[in-house]
Amino acid sequence: MVKVDGYEVPEGLYYTKDWEWVKVEGDKVRVGLTDYAQKQLREVVYAELPEPGTSVTQKEPYGTVESVKAVSDLVAPVSGTVEEVNEEVQSSPEILNEDPYGKGWLLIIKPSNLQAELANVMDFNQAVEWHKTLIKEG
Amino acid sequence: MTEKTRRTQLYKVHRQTAKLTVFAGFEMPLLYKGIIPEHLAVRNSVGIFDISHMGRVIIQGVDSERFLNYAITNDVSRLSPNGAQYSVMCNEKGGIIDDFVIYRLENEKFMMVSNATNREKDYNWLVKNAEGFDVKIEDVSDGVAMFAIQGPTAEKTLQKISTADLNKIARFNCGHSRLADVKVFISRTGYTGEDGFEIFIWDASLTKPDNAVKLWNAILEAGKTFGIEPCGLGARDTLRLEAGMCLYGNDIDENTTPLEARLGFVVKFQKDNFIGKEVLLKQKNEGIKRKRVGIQMIEQGIPRPNFEIYNGEGEKIGHITSGTFSPLLKCGIGMAYVPISQAQEGNIVNVKMRNKLAKGKIVSFPFYNAEKYGYKRKTAT
Repeated sequence: MVKVDGYEVPEGLYYTKDWEWVKVEGDKVRVGLTDYAQKQLREVVYAELPEPGTSVTQKEPYGTVESVKAVSDLVAPVSGTVEEVNEEVQSSPEILNEDPYGKGWLLIIKPSNLQAELANVMDFNQAVEWHKTLIKEG
Repeated sequence: MTEKTRRTQLYKVHRQTAKLTVFAGFEMPLLYKGIIPEHLAVRNSVGIFDISHMGRVIIQGVDSERFLNYAITNDVSRLSPNGAQYSVMCNEKGGIIDDFVIYRLENEKFMMVSNATNREKDYNWLVKNAEGFDVKIEDVSDGVAMFAIQGPTAEKTLQKISTADLNKIARFNCGHSRLADVKVFISRTGYTGEDGFEIFIWDASLTKPDNAVKLWNAILEAGKTFGIEPCGLGARDTLRLEAGMCLYGNDIDENTTPLEARLGFVVKFQKDNFIGKEVLLKQKNEGIKRKRVGIQMIEQGIPRPNFEIYNGEGEKIGHITSGTFSPLLKCGIGMAYVPISQAQEGNIVNVKMRNKLAKGKIVSFPFYNAEKYGYKRKTAT
């Protein structure tokens, strides 16, 4: 785990510029929102997630997350079929703020084209560099 | 093209402590600690807001009462000096130019405190309609700082640093005082539904903001024992929405009348003449066709402005004008105009949220239980 100016960026994950992280777990992936994203959103009060069985497409929205003031799209980091949805996020959305890489995960996806699509996302080192640029740009 | 944003006397303080946003051309605090903790501080104890961006216009002269009774819908002849009332002013079609609080400072001197968004429009409208009246109209907005201190312990907080006995200032009354040795004009008004005060610091210009900064810090210090929070525009919006109060530009504008907006209590038809009277009287006699209602979500989801509303038969009956997550009720709430036939309390409606419909019901204002929250609450603090 490194911290870039107070934002946590754990090692071993992939990252997208749509503020999501991807963790490969065997033949499935777990996805969630990054620490940077939850800090920008603040106080998440509602998350709309797809039903298990729904297919999602890399770079396309699959749900929304809302703070008191704002609505943001959740954008799929990889393509595949939703296997599991974190029910706890729907009943207690604040866990997205409290534990974005742990309890606050969003979906488990069975990817359809993982190896090819991982080329389109950032690895840990690229993500650290990207966070540095984000912070510099303010 | 970037237009230069305006700042308030407190800008340097906000820049260090708040997340900023641009509202009505002003760089203002959106939030400090967070919208929800700020909101709850006001409902449960006390919060302070910088509202120096608001418009402040002085109307004075021998015809000031007669002029205002022509320009606005409420009746200022009912005000004694140090009295205030909520009002709107309308165009000839009965559409709302703005909503505001009007203060009678002296017998022939009034102050209108209006929306930041409408500063120029209001001033121009007043000047345009003052022809033939012996009045002087002056926009003093920039030279005055203004804070709102709101919540059930607002009085206790300010009393600690006030020379005047604040208990003697009743709701919608005002007076002069010194707070932490700063000369202020103080009124028992607000935009949160709670008891509280709005204070005017006359000698705090943008170039010499010292008095404003000093008082802001002194109030935060005095409120420490009550858990005071500085509050941004985010909490200001969720608080006024829970209280059922209108936001100009969202819930009222030149295409809505005060009768439709359920602000009929500020329209005084007994007055001789006022701008918009004819149309409003006709509307009153014929009956309004639609009115502003509150919608509380039963199903999950947060209603946002422009979301469409459908009745049980699938007919579109209106759209959300303001909506948010209610920190107190912990569900989505919103306002909308719907036909009178659909406006009955308890009616179930469907709010279209992106690709699904979510159930909500028509409720009365305020959204919260007025026995437990708001200035009429029965529980002591």
